[in-house]
Amino acid sequence: MDTIVTAGKLNNEEIFNLLKQFITEVIGEEFAEEMDISMESSFNKDLEMDSIEIVAFSEKIKAHFGDKIDFTGWLSDMDIDQLIALKLGMIVKFIETCQ
Amino acid sequence: MARFICIVPPLTGHVNPTLGVGAALLEAGHEVAWISLDESLKDRLPKGAQLLLISYTEDDREAQQSLQYLDVITKKVVYGVDSIKFLYEEVLIPLNRHCYRGISEWLREYKPDLVITDHELFAGAIAAVQLGIPYVTSVTAPAAIQIMDELPKVYEWEQNQIVALQKELGLRAEKSIASSDLLNLVFTSQEFFGKPKMPEHYKFVGPVIYKREGTTGFDWQRFHEITDRPRILVSIGTTFNHEHKKAFFEKVTEAFAEAPVTVVVICEPTLVEQWPENFLVQLNIPQLEVLPYLDAVVCHGGHNTVCESISHGKPLVVIPIAYDQSHVAGRVVDTGAGMRLNFNRFKAKHLREAVYEVLTQPGYSAAAAALSQSFVAAGGTATAANLLIKAAGSHHEPLLSTHRYV
Repeated sequence: MDTIVTAGKLNNEEIFNLLKQFITEVIGEEFAEEMDISMESSFNKDLEMDSIEIVAFSEKIKAHFGDKIDFTGWLSDMDIDQLIALKLGMIVKFIETCQ
Repeated sequence: MARFICIVPPLTGHVNPTLGVGAALLEAGHEVAWISLDESLKDRLPKGAQLLLISYTEDDREAQQSLQYLDVITKKVVYGVDSIKFLYEEVLIPLNRHCYRGISEWLREYKPDLVITDHELFAGAIAAVQLGIPYVTSVTAPAAIQIMDELPKVYEWEQNQIVALQKELGLRAEKSIASSDLLNLVFTSQEFFGKPKMPEHYKFVGPVIYKREGTTGFDWQRFHEITDRPRILVSIGTTFNHEHKKAFFEKVTEAFAEAPVTVVVICEPTLVEQWPENFLVQLNIPQLEVLPYLDAVVCHGGHNTVCESISHGKPLVVIPIAYDQSHVAGRVVDTGAGMRLNFNRFKAKHLREAVYEVLTQPGYSAAAAALSQSFVAAGGTATAANLLIKAAGSHHEPLLSTHRYV
């Protein structure tokens, strides 16, 4: 899944679906199915992902977009409060503006 | 002969390694005392040790200000990155602030040659620096000294909390002094720690497992009666006592009721109304004596239980709850010694599947056995004690034979 080469820009919804797929891969399909994953889902509170899972998720983004998007750089700039408040929609927006 | 002081927080996993190393120092003829808030530590100290209790007089209202954070840590439900913030803001900083004056007073009175302070009890380091006494750091939860490449600001934030307290207590230093410049005893092996390579004064001495001469009762007869099925241990340590504990053990019950395994559970027997027949439930067990007879361990990823299990070559299923446990669980998975489940998400069947997986696939116990070799090679108690003797400056003292403790 990680090797898909995307031609052209992804729109908002495509990015969201892609990230949702990554989350599913990290936390497991049966868990993801039970969750209502939306733009508003926070990683800490709603998705209950801990730091190790967030890092695994970030590695999937890196593997997919490669050098096109400096996701690690963006993430590593986040302070602890921003990380606690991090929502899926924020990442979608970041990727969208990077393209 | 040298005088040592160990400064420990009231957390079992942070205290135990110091007891093992301290016992070795005492046996070698040195003096060792422990500074703690916990009066019950007295009963667990090795022979010849002294407890220097931090206690404030009753009219000292500010200092008396109850030890709520000790209660808070066992009761509050926290998760993920949020739990790190909670740990510092609501537990560690108030705890260190509370302990500082008591520690300083004992250090002045006892005049140790060397202070050994826990990495989470940085008030010990601050007090030592203020009094000009050399200190070394005991790193009992090694994840705390690891910076995650992707999330460097979490570590930075932790350091900032410590620096702010340092300033408040009158120490003008721009960086955290929680880790000693002289020596850090890291109670794991480099193999289990993983990346990064730490500076020379971080010594990976392996876990120090302190075998207490205890008399904890255990139904050995029943335990040994059933020999035709694997035995597992389920424990989530002593730190968590909140509402999730009951839910957790109900899932454990569901997972293994009538399953062909014997399940030893560490928790209050009253927590679940009816335990299945193949369960043996006790609040305290002689864990080190039971471990050799087990086939797998299910735990929350406390560094001590994980290291004890690996030392015996037992594969693990780790279900981290908060703090550094997620990291410990990550290391167990990365080294191949076990599997990890998500505390909030897992269901009975996932636990059952994971336990069968580590029981039946030999790779897990093989990886645990390989790690246990790295623990032995790290040197353990005698190596740690010798490093401390050297750090205390008594070079002429005979060192301990490393063979006795292996």
